[in-house]
Amino acid sequence: MAEPLGGRHPRPDAVMKVAGSARYVGDLALPGMLHAAIVAAPGAPARVVSLDLEPARAVPGVEAVLAAGDVPGANLVGTIFPDQPLLVEDRVRMVGDRLALVAARTPEAAWTAAAAVEPELEPLPGVHDPVEALEPGAPVVHESGNLVRTFRVRRNAGGDGAASAPVVVEAEYRIGGQEHAYLEPQGCLAIPESRSRITIVASCQCPFYVQHAVARVLGLPLASVRVRQAHTGGGFGGKEDYPSEVAACAAVLAFATGRPVRLIYSREYDLQATTKRHAMVVRHRWGADTDGRLLFAEVESFLDAGAYVGLSTVVAERANVSAIGPYHVPSVKVDTHVVHTNNLFGGAYRGFGAPQVTWAHEATMDRLARAVGVDPVEIRRRNLLTGESCTTCTGQELPSPVLAGACLDRATELAAAWTGSATVAPSPHLRRGTGVALVLYGCNLHHGGQFLDRSSAVVILQPDASAIVRVGLTEMGQGNLASAQTVAAQALGLDPSRVEVWEPDTATVADSGPTVASRGAHSTGLAILDAVRRLRRRLDPVAAGLLGCAPGEVELADGVARVAGDPSRAVPLERVLGEMTARRIETIATGWWRSRPRWFDEATGLGSPYETYAFACHVAQVAVDPELGLVRVEHVAAAHDVGRILHRDAIEGQIQGGIVQAMGWGLLERLELDRGRLLNPSFTDYLIPTASDTPEISMALLEDAPGAGPFGAKGIGEPSFIPTAAAIRNAVCDALGIEIDRLPFTPPVIVDALGTAHPFADLLD
Amino acid sequence: MDERIVVRLVLNGEERSFRVAPGRRLLDLLREDAGLTGTKEGCGAGECGACTVLLDGRPVPSCLVLAASCDGAAVVTVEGLGGPAGSHPFQRALVASGGVQCGFCTPGLVMTGAAVLEAGVTAPADQARLLSGNLCRCTGYVKVFEALRRAGEDGDG
Amino acid sequence: MNLPVEAVLRPRDLGEALSMLAEDPSAVPVAGGTDLVVQLRARRRHAPVLVDIGALGLDRIAVEGNALVIGAAATMDSIARSAAVREHAPALATAAGQVGAWPIQCRATLGGNLANASPAADTAPPLLTAGATVTAAFPSGQRRIPVLDLFEGPGTTRLAPGELITSVSIPLDPVPAGARRVDRFVKLGPRREQIISVVSLAVRAALLADGTLADVRIAVGAAAPTPVRAPAAESVLEGRPPGGAARREAARALQEDIAPIDDIRAPARYRRLAAAVLLDRLLGEISHG
Repeated sequence: MAEPLGGRHPRPDAVMKVAGSARYVGDLALPGMLHAAIVAAPGAPARVVSLDLEPARAVPGVEAVLAAGDVPGANLVGTIFPDQPLLVEDRVRMVGDRLALVAARTPEAAWTAAAAVEPELEPLPGVHDPVEALEPGAPVVHESGNLVRTFRVRRNAGGDGAASAPVVVEAEYRIGGQEHAYLEPQGCLAIPESRSRITIVASCQCPFYVQHAVARVLGLPLASVRVRQAHTGGGFGGKEDYPSEVAACAAVLAFATGRPVRLIYSREYDLQATTKRHAMVVRHRWGADTDGRLLFAEVESFLDAGAYVGLSTVVAERANVSAIGPYHVPSVKVDTHVVHTNNLFGGAYRGFGAPQVTWAHEATMDRLARAVGVDPVEIRRRNLLTGESCTTCTGQELPSPVLAGACLDRATELAAAWTGSATVAPSPHLRRGTGVALVLYGCNLHHGGQFLDRSSAVVILQPDASAIVRVGLTEMGQGNLASAQTVAAQALGLDPSRVEVWEPDTATVADSGPTVASRGAHSTGLAILDAVRRLRRRLDPVAAGLLGCAPGEVELADGVARVAGDPSRAVPLERVLGEMTARRIETIATGWWRSRPRWFDEATGLGSPYETYAFACHVAQVAVDPELGLVRVEHVAAAHDVGRILHRDAIEGQIQGGIVQAMGWGLLERLELDRGRLLNPSFTDYLIPTASDTPEISMALLEDAPGAGPFGAKGIGEPSFIPTAAAIRNAVCDALGIEIDRLPFTPPVIVDALGTAHPFADLLD
Repeated sequence: MDERIVVRLVLNGEERSFRVAPGRRLLDLLREDAGLTGTKEGCGAGECGACTVLLDGRPVPSCLVLAASCDGAAVVTVEGLGGPAGSHPFQRALVASGGVQCGFCTPGLVMTGAAVLEAGVTAPADQARLLSGNLCRCTGYVKVFEALRRAGEDGDG
Repeated sequence: MNLPVEAVLRPRDLGEALSMLAEDPSAVPVAGGTDLVVQLRARRRHAPVLVDIGALGLDRIAVEGNALVIGAAATMDSIARSAAVREHAPALATAAGQVGAWPIQCRATLGGNLANASPAADTAPPLLTAGATVTAAFPSGQRRIPVLDLFEGPGTTRLAPGELITSVSIPLDPVPAGARRVDRFVKLGPRREQIISVVSLAVRAALLADGTLADVRIAVGAAAPTPVRAPAAESVLEGRPPGGAARREAARALQEDIAPIDDIRAPARYRRLAAAVLLDRLLGEISHG
């Protein structure tokens, strides 16, 4: 039997998914189930003058129509700040805000009823730009003001470098948001049992968030709310906190009617109302010596949070400490403002604020390279964290080895190899360019969220030597089931097919925090290893008795218990378990993991925001058609500091998928707004990459710097995404010889950037 | 008003008859009336491909097909293509290549991929073009292409 | 989900379909439904009664006399793959293979693409340049309408209530001896596949033995309220070689032929520049053989 670790065994959920038998929320129905719909505000901001719900109640098949006053518990859904009502009371702040909820016997009746409500709204002045929102006199979204919070890093700020740097580059980057575009829209099924308890089946990343949210709106103890994660058709951060809102809606309707209620979002409402990657404005003033060695960096960022805080402060926390990247900078000043507007709801999205600031710092590094007159790879080499200067911008010492340089080397080698091998068709219309980008990714949750950085697991060995594994973190396509299965199989010496990892259910494991921050494999795996460790305290003595050795000599591999160093002395694990059963020794154990406590000073932004770090470098090779503004990403070389590969297909899939998703953000995906209303709420006009857009991808997975995860693994979900768009930006600018400082690079943006250099520009005069 | 319409299908090889509302979409007939929930609805506008089924052998977005237009047609869904074990060569290749992630696009992708193989299209760029109506947000399509290659090589055996 | 439709009538033959359409002025014909269903679902269109014309045998593609005749219910996929279309109207075959994605092409029909009258309908420019006519039937007869006269504005045609497009005829106009037929289509959007055209362009002409163009026809999609012919650009090119100075003059003249607007998909300026580039490049390709 091949060792599970690092293998390519089939993902445990693959067959059920290809066969169409994996059931997602929309595939689940119960007798008597009602369908929910939302009465949503068509414009914002506005004051609710009147809300007549009678037209909805009059629609045949409608069983309940609820407004704010009907919420049995607290009318609140905000995860961190209590600023967001489940149902609007008097003030609409965001297009799509919920005014009322409908439950009906058919989806058609529910939607018809919701559409029958014509709320009387008095428009109020809105604010739609995060920089303008901070100007005096700007309309305020909440009475507390538009500035939610500012995060800072101050490290030798205002030192000599800032005054005396001979080379200074400045830029303002305007970076657009992004829709997750998970293929499965938001959805939830709420199953009440009288008004005493409720089961929620949700498409979600964070069942424990959903549990808290439902308990709050229903006024129930947490113990009376059970959340089961259904198969979840993609998340990428979009199903981090938002499903709490969906579940809260279904739950209050279920309690009001006493019947199961299913709420499935239309794609259009999903696009308008759910959270997005934050649009950001990032201002840079960076200085270097004449060799391009950085002397100082000043960054001021504005995150467009939208009307509610949601997770924006947490996103800003990561953006703040990621703003300088993997570079050694003696003097650092970072300000990261979280700002309210009446735009789309900013929230969690793969990378969590880091992709935007990475796009900016990598653009600035290329600017600096051009200002100093050195190659973009060389300017990075001169400034990367290596050897003796391995202190991040927050003053955190990185343990050796630090793979920033190795990632740069490997990615550039892969890019050169591709150039050598590619049969690139010459075209008079195309200009080719290469761009490089690096990221320093802080693994797992930031210091500010470390109270959530924990994980629970249960391992139950069965009499036939198969194993049930219960975990608290979710599978949403990223491979958590595969990595959990691999870790458990490796630790128990079982073939992965003998290990069944079940989707999370809050009634079976302790609160394990959210499935975010690339922490799934790490925290799930370590909790499983802890459970196995505890199981073996009982199993090893029994095995030792059968083997005639000391308990400390027992090892598990290939489905047997054997004597370490003498594999011929072995008994099938099944026999050991039979013996345990006969002796009534329990074959179940729980496991627990929590991150190590660390120090961080919020006032200065100094300390250890993250437990460990992973580096990555992407090199993008593009062909640009400047006259039509088209960009073809031909090749992306990706080098990743992964610690240890758990499941090879899963990690490769994350990197390939991250690259293509980030390419979409960099080139295609526009959230076009008119006073907060999304003008392109469909996949007809919100364009994500298709199969024809995928570049060639080559990758190097570096296992030389073990992380703190199971068997030394580090997270990959976000580092796979973060550098790509920046590398593409730099490649396009390399091809065109100009700087473009807006994302995305749509064809009109590129054509406009050419200005009068466009060969046909004179035709339009 | 709202006269029910009889729609007879050869559904996954079996003759079936349904009485549906005139505005029934083929997608809902399959999911709600036939209980075949493998076919997914990702957008309802024919843009994502998650609802792709084979209608008289051609891949179509079932969210845009009126059930009433399908009387007498042969329909194959993901359930009928390779059975509960997912034994169609492309299904097996997707599993073996690691080309399945969140799985929501997978049933539609399986149907289009099966049609690509059936059409005998082997050039990678042409395969990619034909798959472009099946959006996938997880995989970046690389392992999907690999699966299509594998299935093309192994499928005839 | 059920669409807001009260009845779907399923006529047995064309005659019955035409009577149904004539009897109920609100009845709307449906074949593939790939545009109509989207509009119905979004409540952008009210069509309580549909007449299903998908199974009336209107999907034939054949050369009949001096014309290539394509049934209104022929799918984009069948048009793109048809040997006859590829031979006589290659630009149309190219365009049909780029309407939406493949599953859409397997369902969407030529009649539907025209009747929906989107300014961006990809089959329109190559039909305009080919001098195609649609046959519109009604209970008491039928008439032929040049595609040029079919479109009235975005989403509206000059079909009378109850009239149904049954086929599209493309004349097989021979080119002079020694000349070569040029029939090209190109579309542009921000994504390579499955994209609504931001600009599309069709060029049809005879490239004479002396290297000059004759009978030049150019049409542009998504750059005016309807797909349009480009008479100014055509007259610049008539009788001249496609390379050299005529390229730039034609690109300039094309600006008079189009009237693009700023919308969610692209600004007018981009559409103008892109139309110029597409024409310039097509001419360049033609001149290089």
